[in-house]
Amino acid sequence: MLLPRFEYRHATSLLQGMTLLAESPEARALAGGTDLLVDLRERRQQARLLVDISQLAELRGIDAADGEVRLGGGVTVGELLASPLVAAALPALHRAARAFADFLTRNKATLGGNLANASPGADLVVPLLALDARVVLAAPAGERTLALDAFVLGPRRTALGAGELVRAVLVPRAEGRQSFHKLGLKRGGPIAVVSVATRVRLDAGGRVTGAAVALGAVAPRPVRAVEAEASLLGAPLTPDRIARAADLAAAAARPIDDVRGSRAYRQAMVRALVARDLAAAQTEGG
Amino acid sequence: MDLPSPRGFRVVGARAPRADARDKVFGLLRYADDLALGGMLHAKVVRATRPSARIRKIDAARAGALPGVRCVLTARDVPHNVLFSDVPGQTTQVGPLRARTQVLADDVVRYLGEAVALVAAETEEAAEEATRLVAVEYEDLPGVFEPEAAMRPEAPQLEPTGNVISRWKVRQGDVEAGFREADVVVAHTYRTGLIDHAFIEPEAGVGWLDENGVVTLRVATQVIEHFRDVANVLGLPHSRVRIIAPYIGGGFGGKEDVTVEVFLGLLVWKTRRPVRLCYSREESILSPTKRHPFIMKYRHGARRDGTLVALEVELISDAGAYAYLSPLTLLYAMVHAAGPYRIPHVRIDGVSVLTNNPPTSAFRGFGSAQPAFAYESQMDELARALGLDPLELRERNYLRKGERLASGQALETAVLLPETARRAWAALGPPGPPSGLGKRVGRGLASALTSYGRIVWLHDWSSAWVELQMDGTVLIRTGVPDIGGGQAAALVQIAAELLGVAQEDIAIHIGDSALTPLAGTTTATRQLYMSGSAVHKAAAELRATLVLQAAELFQVSPEAIELADGTARVRDNPGRASSFKELAAACARSHRPRSAFAVYQAPAGQVMDFETGQGKVFPDFTFGTQAAEVEVDEDTGEVQVRRVAACYDVGRAINRNSVEGQIEGGVAMGLGYALLEEDQVAGGVTLTPNLMTYLIPTALDVPDVTAIVLESGEGMGPWGARGIGEPAIVPTAPAIANAVRDAVGVRVTRLPITPERLWRARQESGAR
Amino acid sequence: MRTIELTLNGQRTRVAVEPHETLLWVLRHRLAATEVKSGCERGDCGACAVILDGKAVNSCLALAVQAEAKSVVTVRGLGSPEAPHPLQAAFIELGAAQCGICIPGMLVTLYAFLRDTPRAGRAEIREAIGGNLCRCTGYQKIVDAAESAARRLLAQGTDGARRT
Repeated sequence: MLLPRFEYRHATSLLQGMTLLAESPEARALAGGTDLLVDLRERRQQARLLVDISQLAELRGIDAADGEVRLGGGVTVGELLASPLVAAALPALHRAARAFADFLTRNKATLGGNLANASPGADLVVPLLALDARVVLAAPAGERTLALDAFVLGPRRTALGAGELVRAVLVPRAEGRQSFHKLGLKRGGPIAVVSVATRVRLDAGGRVTGAAVALGAVAPRPVRAVEAEASLLGAPLTPDRIARAADLAAAAARPIDDVRGSRAYRQAMVRALVARDLAAAQTEGG
Repeated sequence: MDLPSPRGFRVVGARAPRADARDKVFGLLRYADDLALGGMLHAKVVRATRPSARIRKIDAARAGALPGVRCVLTARDVPHNVLFSDVPGQTTQVGPLRARTQVLADDVVRYLGEAVALVAAETEEAAEEATRLVAVEYEDLPGVFEPEAAMRPEAPQLEPTGNVISRWKVRQGDVEAGFREADVVVAHTYRTGLIDHAFIEPEAGVGWLDENGVVTLRVATQVIEHFRDVANVLGLPHSRVRIIAPYIGGGFGGKEDVTVEVFLGLLVWKTRRPVRLCYSREESILSPTKRHPFIMKYRHGARRDGTLVALEVELISDAGAYAYLSPLTLLYAMVHAAGPYRIPHVRIDGVSVLTNNPPTSAFRGFGSAQPAFAYESQMDELARALGLDPLELRERNYLRKGERLASGQALETAVLLPETARRAWAALGPPGPPSGLGKRVGRGLASALTSYGRIVWLHDWSSAWVELQMDGTVLIRTGVPDIGGGQAAALVQIAAELLGVAQEDIAIHIGDSALTPLAGTTTATRQLYMSGSAVHKAAAELRATLVLQAAELFQVSPEAIELADGTARVRDNPGRASSFKELAAACARSHRPRSAFAVYQAPAGQVMDFETGQGKVFPDFTFGTQAAEVEVDEDTGEVQVRRVAACYDVGRAINRNSVEGQIEGGVAMGLGYALLEEDQVAGGVTLTPNLMTYLIPTALDVPDVTAIVLESGEGMGPWGARGIGEPAIVPTAPAIANAVRDAVGVRVTRLPITPERLWRARQESGAR
Repeated sequence: MRTIELTLNGQRTRVAVEPHETLLWVLRHRLAATEVKSGCERGDCGACAVILDGKAVNSCLALAVQAEAKSVVTVRGLGSPEAPHPLQAAFIELGAAQCGICIPGMLVTLYAFLRDTPRAGRAEIREAIGGNLCRCTGYQKIVDAAESAARRLLAQGTDGARRT
């Protein structure tokens, strides 16, 4: 099945790209194309113009400054995976990049694209949510920064305004043990049935001083299980507290039935994966 | 005259690189969609969007008026709008196995995806746009989507004669008496799902009218004999249609029934232009035939010491919307249903039922894979119930050479099952520990028999032409389609062995219904046996002629001549040698034929007794065992297969790499069948239309496979070879299912064993 | 329709393209590069993998216009019968190709992967080809051949390609 017809412009600068996008309501930004071109082929999205932003230097780069890791919106998943900085500072994101699709897709798919596509199970959104990431949006009028939670609004819906692009993602370097686990139906590049990312910080006495639990593919968008997180604070990770937190996390999930799994299974898997991650945090120490 | 004996092979049995491998790795091979002709039109198929409906109206006006569109065809444009699914390629009547479908739906569509119209246009884009513009008005009719529901009298009837299109039975002994003797009875119902062939090359082809007005179709097909079907549809003499099969990107039975051939034939004939048709992946999953879902109700009875005494089986297969090869597939299932075991009292009943689901037909295993899942799961359950080792239970009951299947067929060749089981099990090595907390390791094995070669009363045959060319090289011509299993390369190897010529000096032309002698279909794991035998016969004949010629040349007796290293020479006197080029010239001078044409006819048999289900059905079987080690995640139900060992008696391995490759590939496909693959259809609507949702194993899903090859030398093929293509896939799913049961104590009786299914089964059994 | 210039297997080439045409489609239908196979058109199977601007990608998910002024390498750019790439030689020797339709994509992916990760082990090789679906071989001999070629490439100290 062929792609529908559209015009194509290659953006030579970030400003030019954003201007082109802002000017035309049916324009779409083309980065890796691994979601967009499939959506166009299958007529889930329409576009009169594709603005190719895949070569923009302004969107590249992975660096650290001021206690934050800054990831360019145009960084590919392969680059995330290969980055020693990401592996060291953001292991949950590194894990998600590893579990993302396959080698070929990772060479093209971008961080900004995964965020902008806003799939309910977006592999990169889930760990970034647990890591309190913020999104820097660039527009012709200027830049603004949002919490990731305020950027991804629902299935295929984000806070992107006309002409706006994901310029960068800022992730605070925080302490604590990070994890990410994607449950899929096969080993080579599956779509998530359920995914879970956690960050747990323990003090010298083993009490939880910080907890984040993010869930993917079990709600219209990736979500933080805030009640589960709150239930863990101030106390050690005992089996009872872990089980309670896992139950609360499962209750925060609102999964659906689809070809990949049923609601009941997904709910049970949230419980199981969260419990497992917390137990591992307890064993390994935060 | 001494023909090469097993002990003295020069090339047979070697890991010979295949000639076709070269073009494949250098990107030089042209598959069916890799040919572009000047003035070529692009075709698309308009398909039904309803699973059960009457066609009220087809309005093709807007489509036909679109610039670039050259024709739009519907049922009334088809001269003879019927396709028969006689056993492909055969020329004798088979009565109860005859099945028919339409080329283009006429009055009623019976499944979502059924072909309704054809479009041909100057560009692919115009063709696609035209398919969107063909306006079809449907009136929904009631549909039925479960075979058991379809068997009830109130169900919508897809055929005037009813939805049950095939019934078979097998009776042996007295099954009631048998169960009275049983100390233990184990009964379960097993279910398998709708499976897609998922070859990486979709159905495709290019057709044109040649300079003699012959409709020439170069298509990815396992059956070049479909030229007859196309000719019949067009109302042309058979010689006016020619089918060429290039090397095919995977078949597995999915390119066995007519797919694109007849559409291309129609469009070429109508437009007089070259036409290209290539299915999209979605189309390939949606529309052409699939593997039958089976419901299998098994009841085994055994004595305390493990001896099987009784078996009762009910098989129900979902034939989908059209019969295709469903009756035949069910027959295969019936014969294989009891497995390779001695059971004195057997009652097997099978039905194949039409539904408004996607049509089902041939798929690697052809009705032998589904029952194996059932009977091998049963064997492990019996072992458990009796407190016996699963291997020991099987060894007590494996049939031996000379004994009979429940359908009465005697096993006339070596049955090395006990050895395959011991070797496969041993090859797993010492059990590995779980990789972490919450993981459990388990092991299981499964044995199976799978037929190779056509049903004996179908009078199978194959032919080949082998020629010594004037330049001293050898040419083979035979109509074999090569679907990737090394079908052509094996024939080269056979000829090389017999003629003493290097494989590089043997060329082979295959797969052309006009220009190569017909060899029959590449299906039923028959090619090595049948065309291998035809090539063997022709090459042996040519060899005899060359030996005589050389004997004359050197004035010695023929017994003194040997063919080796591309020469004919006097044994023990290497100075007296003649190159094949010189020999060819000598033959020409002496009016000796430099070629041989041979027809190999399989030993024919009588039609079985359909009342009792007794009789010899297949020429022979391949026996093997697979053993698997799995690790199960107790929380999620995920199953990882860590190791597989597969041991087969292949009779004789002609090309060792090819044999191993078939086994390794079969295990991967079987693994997919066990754990990943299901074409999910609800109310006749496919929910898994692409490879993102229809999951086939990746390199991360399939472990290293240890293939162990035994050679009894007792197969029907050249030097006692057996077939391996289909047998390779059959034991994998039950071996994995048994390993899962071993790991977590719960049996899933439905394939695929997805994490969720396993999780549910554990929940229901009260496991933690 | 626009004419763009690109380098295909080391040769400068000009081709007319429309914006909506994928690189896969243009390779197969305008440039006669039918060695690049089409298996799914949506990035699920890896059969169409090529090296675009140095990276192995599914060509069905790249627009042809995106190849302008860039280098595209297909399996034919890795080697030829006269000068096979070690991967190609290993695939032939070890019987890694059965029907062969996945092989061009598989070789391109392995070439790119081994170029960047020359010391890859078996598990990493499997991960690298996780997006290259094969229905015939069970991947066994493909992985064997990749390992064998990797050893040879390491010894040679090159990536082995002839025309990139």
